Amino acid sequence: MRSYKTKILVAVVAISLLKIVSCTPESCFEETLALLKASMYQSSQEKNVAPTSLTLYGLNMEEDKIYDQTEGVKSALIPLNPYAESCTFIIGINSVTDTLIFWYTSFPHLISKECGYTFYHALDSLITTSNAIDTVIIRNRYVTTSDEENIRIYY
Amino acid sequence: MKRISVYIISLLVIISYSVSEAEAQNQPPDTVILPLKIRAGADIMGPVIYLIDRNNLNIEGYVSVDLNAKTGIFLGAGYSDYKYSQYNYEYLSRGYFVKAGVDFNLLKPEASRGKYWAGIGLRYGLSSFTNEIPSFEYDSYWGTTITTIPSSSSMGHYLEIAPGFRAEIFNNFSMGWLVNIRALLHTGTGKDLRPIYFPGYGAGDESISFGINYYLSWNISYKRIKVLIKKEEPEETEETEGTEAEEPARSLFPPTEYP
Repeated sequence: MRSYKTKILVAVVAISLLKIVSCTPESCFEETLALLKASMYQSSQEKNVAPTSLTLYGLNMEEDKIYDQTEGVKSALIPLNPYAESCTFIIGINSVTDTLIFWYTSFPHLISKECGYTFYHALDSLITTSNAIDTVIIRNRYVTTSDEENIRIYY
Repeated sequence: MKRISVYIISLLVIISYSVSEAEAQNQPPDTVILPLKIRAGADIMGPVIYLIDRNNLNIEGYVSVDLNAKTGIFLGAGYSDYKYSQYNYEYLSRGYFVKAGVDFNLLKPEASRGKYWAGIGLRYGLSSFTNEIPSFEYDSYWGTTITTIPSSSSMGHYLEIAPGFRAEIFNNFSMGWLVNIRALLHTGTGKDLRPIYFPGYGAGDESISFGINYYLSWNISYKRIKVLIKKEEPEETEETEGTEAEEPARSLFPPTEYP
């Protein structure tokens, strides 16, 4: 009985020691940017269909486009500015331009010791012009590093 | 690597010493007089690690009281000051912690004789600390910015299992290891700004953390008790019924007859 207890104790200690001295990853392998995921839906079919072309950039950031006449984008990734309470984007769907404004709050979030910190956002509201866009609905107001749909853009 | 070797060698020495002492008691007496002790100790692992890594200071001590031959009450406390930095952020955490629980000695009284302890401690830990991110660089479409998350106070708590070994080396002076396996209950900071490190627990972004203590302890006997030793009954051998007695094992070599 004594040797049984001793063996368990030694095993627990040995496993713990191995864990203590084992190498821990020091590199970051996780997504570090929380981007708003906007699924593109065709109103007539109610289906997630990529527009023929998509152009997207921030207001006054025309020289730095996120998407530039890009084909096959079924889900657009939109970066919100954590140092502002709202963000305005110019979106071109099949060469027809709209303006999309988001209101949100941002808060810091620890990803991991290796990756450090990022900003998550909580969407409050949004408005859009309706040249190409029919409507936009919020599906999940929390913008995180996970791969979850946040809004649906019907065009 | 040198540190790892020191851990393992010291552990093996203490294990083998404890086991050999236990096995040395071939014919135990019916009772053994066991001193119950009050013990106070300080961890030297924290200061040693601090000499190697100036960003991680951990000072820790404990008091324990034997209740009987097998169990004792443990009360520990400590202070921790932790700094971490990498390419895109800096992190600071400092604070105090206390932990309380029970120690169980797995050695039999005739083996431990009040001098040796090999067992498991179960504890609850409470940590009061502040953490701060003095700088944090954020790079996005809107540009690169450096921001600060100011200091905030939190109170975290955890459970700890601490198997280990301790031996009295000189009169009233003992030393020994404890390996700490901790389960996080609550960091007290919310899920977004979990502490990278919090005093007493360690890596706050993990639900299980591991640590190690090497204690130098002073102890004094406050009472002596007489403990009855349970004699192990000899194992019963099964007898075969109604069959011929087993033949003794035959030697490979026939007996030699001498005139």
